Amino acid sequence: MKTVTDTRLLFHRYTVQMLRNPVWLFVGFSTPILYLVLFTPLLHDLPGVRGFPTGSVLQLFLPGILALLAFASGSSAGFGTIFELQSGLIERFRVTPASRLAILLGPILSGLVMMTVFDAVVVAVGYGFGFGIHWLGLAVLAVLLWLLAAMMAAFSTATALVTKDISSFAAVINGINLPILLLAGVLLPISLGPLWLKILAHVNPLYYLVAASRVLAAGHLSDPAVWQAFAVLVPLCALVLVWATRVFRQAVS
Amino acid sequence: MTSPARRPATDRPVIVTRDLRKAFPAPRGVGHSGPGAGGTHAGQGVQAVGGVSIEVGDGEIFGFLGPNGAGKTTTLRMLTTLLSIDGGTAEVAGFDVARHPQEVRTRIGYVSQLGGADDLATGRENLILQGRLYGGDVASVTERTHQLMALLDLGEFADRRVKTYSGGQRRRLDVALGIVHRPEVLFLDEPSTGLDPQNRANLWDHVRELRDRGTTVFLTTHYLEEADALCDRLVIMDHGEIITEGTPSELKRQVAGESVVLHLRPGADGDGRASRLLESQPFVRELTGSDDQLRLYVEDGSEALPQIIRILDGADIGVRSMSLSEPTLDDVFLHQTGRSLRDAGTRPTEESVA
Repeated sequence: MKTVTDTRLLFHRYTVQMLRNPVWLFVGFSTPILYLVLFTPLLHDLPGVRGFPTGSVLQLFLPGILALLAFASGSSAGFGTIFELQSGLIERFRVTPASRLAILLGPILSGLVMMTVFDAVVVAVGYGFGFGIHWLGLAVLAVLLWLLAAMMAAFSTATALVTKDISSFAAVINGINLPILLLAGVLLPISLGPLWLKILAHVNPLYYLVAASRVLAAGHLSDPAVWQAFAVLVPLCALVLVWATRVFRQAVS
Repeated sequence: MTSPARRPATDRPVIVTRDLRKAFPAPRGVGHSGPGAGGTHAGQGVQAVGGVSIEVGDGEIFGFLGPNGAGKTTTLRMLTTLLSIDGGTAEVAGFDVARHPQEVRTRIGYVSQLGGADDLATGRENLILQGRLYGGDVASVTERTHQLMALLDLGEFADRRVKTYSGGQRRRLDVALGIVHRPEVLFLDEPSTGLDPQNRANLWDHVRELRDRGTTVFLTTHYLEEADALCDRLVIMDHGEIITEGTPSELKRQVAGESVVLHLRPGADGDGRASRLLESQPFVRELTGSDDQLRLYVEDGSEALPQIIRILDGADIGVRSMSLSEPTLDDVFLHQTGRSLRDAGTRPTEESVA
């Protein structure tokens, strides 16, 4: 009960902070829009190339942007944690009897809500350019996006608590992000690549999300990629949350 | 405040530690060990706190004075459940810190060096969130916030964002955040770091007022003046260990007593008569100087002054001026460690946590 109340209080705190910091809002909105405007045109002639899935470019690429957003918003959560460690905020919360899980979940949930708003904007803009909307597919996709973003945010927060300073944290996160992004098929489908790349991609959780996002956006809810993504992300997300809560209790206490 | 009168102090100590210890892993620079800082090597780790035993009574202001890296903050972080305890025991507000951290958390307030208030929120919003995290309901927390704003002179700034606050205002908000739930014990880590003398004096007044309302205050400081002016009792710490303990005046008396400087009228002591006379007095520990200027070390200056006047007057030795200078806590530190506290490192962020 205390955990629920505390989570709600901290969720509110983080959401208000975010809304009062227009720079973050601007960055959050501009990133996906830039991808749509500056990258999508590059793909125009690709459908038809061997290995490239058929379908409109936007239909293929927009779900990838949503997956990318979820990944980026989650993995950047730790930057805020580093700042809060250095400003004494985390310590101030930790010395209260507030639930440790709530201290972790408050900012994560707030981040999910923000991300959902950005996603809605991306979909709306995409719709204007001809992206076909399948509501049920998008709803299921939203759940997958939350799972991945929550997992990445918990991972990023815990990493921040362990590394404690901005340079080591940035090094770790960037070092992990790049291979995950390259092996996810976000920008170009992995199906274009050689076999070894396809095999390697299968150990990447983001790959499953990207694959599921494409079929869900097309409304194919029964595609195996959907349950596969859930099968990978649900346990992984739970595992990372448990680990992050532990780190929160110990590393700093 | 609902209880305006001072809570009757009990004899029961509010903080008791026995042989409290903490060591940090040796490599991966703990972020401190400036000159003269750090502890001694114990096994694989760097010993930050090596066997601290203290008792803090109900309703007193108790201080940890020492140079940066002495282990003050580490001790405080163990007592506030922020850092695990390696050895020994600590009991705060009647509960064992290691076994019942949650019980301890509800009964203590903590103001870190950094403060940690939300810049983008107003003072009032900060206080309300803090009160709610301590489990207060909306009505009582709102009421409490009103009281605290008045108590710490924050009324005018209540609805301004914290980033517009001055250093002194921010510090008062930090203190308000620490006492929003009426803790039995308030921990202050280097409370006046970064404050100008006026704001510092103002903060001290507020801390004394808290004490007078029954809150036990535990603070760390590396400012001699702060320890001297504010603490009812203190320990001096160096290299993770307690060197000495007592009230500020007890500690200063254990050094060399006080010194009296006498300026005699020119020629009044031509034959060293004054020196011989004073040296033979039982209350004079030591006498230096010659001719017209004499320095006497005495047990208790305020008792010695009238006697000195009487003796010199009786011997018809003219005195031009006379001054009494008390030893400082720095003299105590110097006496105990052979180093001056003023030189022992002045970086405000000590042992900033492993």
